[in-house]
Amino acid sequence: MLSTNYKIALVHLTSKLKQTVVAVLGVTFGISMYVFMNSFMTGVNDIQTTLAFTSLAHVRIYNDGPANNTNLVEKVYPTVVSNIRNARVVQYTEGIQNSGAILSLVRKQPEVTGVTPQVNLNVFFRNSGNKVSGVLSGVEVETENKLFNISQYMIAGKWNDLKVQSNGLIIGSGLASLLSVHVDDNINVLTSDGFTKNYKIIGIFQTNVLGVDKSKAYLNINAVRQLLSRNQDFVTDLQINVQDFRETALLVQRIAPVVPYRTESWQMSNQQLEAGSRLRDIIAMAVSLTILLVAGFGIYNIMNMTINEKIKEIAILKAMGFSSKDVTTIFLAQAIVIGMIGGLIGMLLGFIVADVVNHIPFKIGGLNNLPMAYYAHDYIFAFLFGLATTLVAGYLPARKASRIDPVNIIRG
Amino acid sequence: MNTTPALKAIHITKYFYEPERFQVLKDLSFEVRKGEFLSLTGKSGSGKSTLLYVLSTMDTDYEGELLIGGEKLTGKTQNQLAAFRNEHIGFVFQFHYLLPEFNVLDNVMLPALKLKKKSRAEIKEKAYGHLKLLGLEDQALKPANKLSGGQQQRVAIARALINDPSIIMGDEPTGNLDSRNTSIVFDIFRSLSHSQGQTIITVTHDEDFARNSDRIIDMSDGVITG
Ligand SMILES: Nc1ncnc2c1ncn2[C@@H]1O[C@H](COP(=O)(O)OP(=O)(O)OP(=O)(O)O)[C@@H](O)[C@H]1O
Ligand SMILES: [Mg+2]
Repeated sequence: MLSTNYKIALVHLTSKLKQTVVAVLGVTFGISMYVFMNSFMTGVNDIQTTLAFTSLAHVRIYNDGPANNTNLVEKVYPTVVSNIRNARVVQYTEGIQNSGAILSLVRKQPEVTGVTPQVNLNVFFRNSGNKVSGVLSGVEVETENKLFNISQYMIAGKWNDLKVQSNGLIIGSGLASLLSVHVDDNINVLTSDGFTKNYKIIGIFQTNVLGVDKSKAYLNINAVRQLLSRNQDFVTDLQINVQDFRETALLVQRIAPVVPYRTESWQMSNQQLEAGSRLRDIIAMAVSLTILLVAGFGIYNIMNMTINEKIKEIAILKAMGFSSKDVTTIFLAQAIVIGMIGGLIGMLLGFIVADVVNHIPFKIGGLNNLPMAYYAHDYIFAFLFGLATTLVAGYLPARKASRIDPVNIIRG
Repeated sequence: MNTTPALKAIHITKYFYEPERFQVLKDLSFEVRKGEFLSLTGKSGSGKSTLLYVLSTMDTDYEGELLIGGEKLTGKTQNQLAAFRNEHIGFVFQFHYLLPEFNVLDNVMLPALKLKKKSRAEIKEKAYGHLKLLGLEDQALKPANKLSGGQQQRVAIARALINDPSIIMGDEPTGNLDSRNTSIVFDIFRSLSHSQGQTIITVTHDEDFARNSDRIIDMSDGVITG
């Protein structure tokens, strides 16, 4: 029986070709916009993520200072009212002491793809009278690059030179221009504890994250330890990357209790990034679902119109012995064909629109063109959503058709 | 002789409620023998078409009972009735409803394709046979809505015959036909009833047609008068 129902559906589709084309275009438009919007938003999110993770690790372990113990009296005797002024904090341990043990613990975690130790400190960079405050980051050259890919942002000099030149400094492009220095110039570094030393600039990087470019400089981790007169185990930060940057919670849960320092995921420290990315996803979803809904409503209208036009023929079919199910099949098949064709063309059109937009120049923040992501799952979802929409939009009129009572129509 | 009637109507009563309550069929009871060629006559508005819709199982909104071939049809679901009609009842409407987007041949074949008792090729051959009998073989591939009224009516007759139904019902099936075609249709009906044992029930205003059939049921205001 199927083939006869399908033949009838085909005749209906082809005899009113204009209506069919309009319905197909509705789906095509909906799906292509869905593909485009999602590719665009994902592209923006991906760029945002890449930019953010040039200086941010997925998980960070650091010493966040002593707890607030300025009012010990109240801690011991909660009911006693006390008044303490100018509390002095006794020297506490700085940085991470047993970094070797923590490093090997972290490396054993299955999802960890890289760990790098850092010694970070706030310093003044000085070029004769010119003084700029910033961050000096002592890094392990190879693992640092593995995590943050800095070598790719070098605009002068080579990242790996940091390994061999113990008094070599790589500074951000913004910092370089603030200090009016170039490669091979010397600058002076002054720490908060009063240590000072001259370094030679061997490279300049530009991440396009302005805050970083204007304040950061890299030094070999051993050179920083030397500057601070610290031992070989001294570390202020352990930066950790995992396979999927979204999946940090489990790792944090596992290592935080056994490490006596603060273990913090990027989501905890940068909630605005997470919020931005989620909000863009929601916008993309809302816009594309609205478009699909409108397209679905278009299909619903066209199918309804078709059924009102064909009410007599439906009655004849039923009088000749076609069941309600046959009638539903006939009209649902039409909706599915419209959904499939519209979906396939829609994916193609979506790809073309995405590609065109991807080529529009956009020269801000290190970008050249508007960002765009091309993921198969965006296309598959678009197709499935489109098909689901047409199914619903087609099913309601088809069910209405199947409930037509032939005698009332044939009686005339 | 076969004693089970082909069709049995028991106390059939029907009302229309729009625009006001009105009894169209008033307690009709009768039987039709297998192979009988019956004419239903009566003046316009007497309820002939209404009765025929009830007998054809399309109208289920009536009181009383309807049996065809000994099977009680009153109370069955729409889908069961549709399947029953497909196999056992051929119907020619007063206005010859064809499917305008299909060609003549497809229109004739559709009920048989739905029934699926025969192969496509057999159905096609049979459809051509009927069309030829009715003088329409050269129209077979034309769209149904490009035919004249009389031609369309004959296509509808060919369609009604395609599944060899046990009962063929027609609501003025010769209403649009000239005398030559009327007699062709009459001969077809006669031979179907007498040599194939198919039962024929037709509403007609044509007195000659009625007189030459096996039996006449005459109606007036919803009751059988003769
Ligand atoms: N759908 C309907 N709603 C209300 N009344 C109806 C409806 N259809 C028919 N009638 C009424 O029922 C009566 C019988 O109608 P029916 O169509 O059965 O007559 P008929 O005998 O077939 O007439 P004709 O010879 O003109 O075809 C008429 O009075 C008609 O007005
Ligand atoms: Mg009538």
